[in-house]
Amino acid sequence: MLNAKIKKEFRTNGRVTFALDASFVVQQGITVLFGPSGSGKTTILRSIAGIVVPDEGKIELAERVYFDSEAGTNLPIQRRRIGFVFQDYLLFPHLTAAQNVAYAIRSATPKGRRARAIELLDLLGIAHASDRRPQQLSGGEQQRVALARALGSDPAILLLDEPLSALDSATRLRLLGEIVDLQRKSRIPFLYITHSPADAVRAGDCALILNAGRIVQEGKPAEVFNAPRDAAVSRAVGSENILAGRVRDHNEREGISVIDLEGCDLLIPYNALPKSTQVTIGIRSDDIIVSRERIGPTSARNLLEGTIKQVVQDGQQVDLLTACGVNLKVRVTAQALHALDLRPGVKVYLLIKASSCHLLS
Amino acid sequence: MIWPAFKLSLLVVSIATVLISVIGTALGFVLAKRQFRAKELCDALLTLPMVLPPTVTGYYLILLLGRHGLLGRYLYSLTGWTLAFTWEAAVVAAGVMALPIMVKSARAALESVDPRYEMVSFSLGKGELETFFRVTLPLASRGLMAGIVLSFARALGEFGATLMLAGNIPGKTQTMPLAIFEAFISGEDRQAQSLALILTFTSIVTIYFTNILTRPSKSA
Repeated sequence: MLNAKIKKEFRTNGRVTFALDASFVVQQGITVLFGPSGSGKTTILRSIAGIVVPDEGKIELAERVYFDSEAGTNLPIQRRRIGFVFQDYLLFPHLTAAQNVAYAIRSATPKGRRARAIELLDLLGIAHASDRRPQQLSGGEQQRVALARALGSDPAILLLDEPLSALDSATRLRLLGEIVDLQRKSRIPFLYITHSPADAVRAGDCALILNAGRIVQEGKPAEVFNAPRDAAVSRAVGSENILAGRVRDHNEREGISVIDLEGCDLLIPYNALPKSTQVTIGIRSDDIIVSRERIGPTSARNLLEGTIKQVVQDGQQVDLLTACGVNLKVRVTAQALHALDLRPGVKVYLLIKASSCHLLS
Repeated sequence: MIWPAFKLSLLVVSIATVLISVIGTALGFVLAKRQFRAKELCDALLTLPMVLPPTVTGYYLILLLGRHGLLGRYLYSLTGWTLAFTWEAAVVAAGVMALPIMVKSARAALESVDPRYEMVSFSLGKGELETFFRVTLPLASRGLMAGIVLSFARALGEFGATLMLAGNIPGKTQTMPLAIFEAFISGEDRQAQSLALILTFTSIVTIYFTNILTRPSKSA
């Protein structure tokens, strides 16, 4: 478990241009660090790695103090036992895949290092590319080698800085699943920066939402993304609801697939995915219609019943945070808010067209 | 006259190149990777021999290393040996004159290495030294090789500072450029021509290899 309290100010010409002030805990599992560009995600990662020295604070991983401004402790990066994975892989171009991984492995004979490197490459499904150089590997393969290398040094925590953002969506999805598997096998905490809400919901056990240098909300990704606590969080996470579920059933003739969201079912346009495949669904918050009364049959395939938990107002934009089996945020106008007398505790019916439910995976 | 000069030049330049390859890379590393206040001043001082007339550099070298020089007097009182007018003086002169090129090339080559590669190496538990030899150096090798080749050429052509510090003693301190000068002055045109041809050929080969080494690789 990582405990961090980081304060850092950046100045240009003496004026503070950016201030980071974040306290958080990274538990076992995958913690997603999410926020707009310039919100301080990378500074946090670099502070943990020891590349950036905070002005103030304390960072400790399982009793080991990495940094403590009061005690004057600042463990050099070599001794922190962290694995770092970058968006652009940064494999050593003068070494083969196996040599890249072997470079990270400590205290063994060259033969032992190579054997362990091949083992790690095999774990990531690219042992066949062991003797190839990074230039001869695809982006996905390079990132697998980079992951194997990061794990080769037997790290106590893995820091991933947008590891998938340079990859095409099919590779991205496959690799994301492998990263989750890898975490379960390695049993070390992963701290994962991403710009993709879908990736965050799919892979994250916990999400930290960062905005302008502060952590504005933390919790289960599905809750954080679909029930942003205030306007700042709402702006940071965007307007889409992200829901994780499984394919329950298909009706090809009617053009419909049924997704089990563990709380309610959702009808979406037909897809050919095998039953019980894990999927992520996106529904834009302004694609949802709210009614105070249950209305008769409409063309919208989904009618969900729920209550308003909170109303978040940001200028003319209003987000209703509703609970209807799952959390859904619904964007309405201020006029609708007043005309329908929408407030916390009120019972509402949500109408969602099947075609407004986008399959994100 | 040709052979002794050729052999001496080769010896002097080889030793000078080896020395400045190591020293120049070390200085280039400090300038490329370390932050300190007098950095650009240091760079300027190290570049000085490139812009000063070589005779001026030679003059300073005598002030520093001559028998009564700033350092030379201690060397003389300790060992009874003095650098001036020895073949070793030719090594020092050639080395000092070629060092700026090596430092400049090394600094550029090492600065071009993405520091995040070094960061990755540190994060994998490797120390500064191991990171330098196993990551930074191989990644900068093309630029460093180019710097070495150029320094070799510069050392080979060294004339002014060598004349000041080492003199022009045939068979002892007379390198090829000095031999050409002497051959020309004394009207031995054929010798001058042969030596000039050798140096011209060496220079063409040098430029050719430097271009190959500094051409951006496709994979980068």
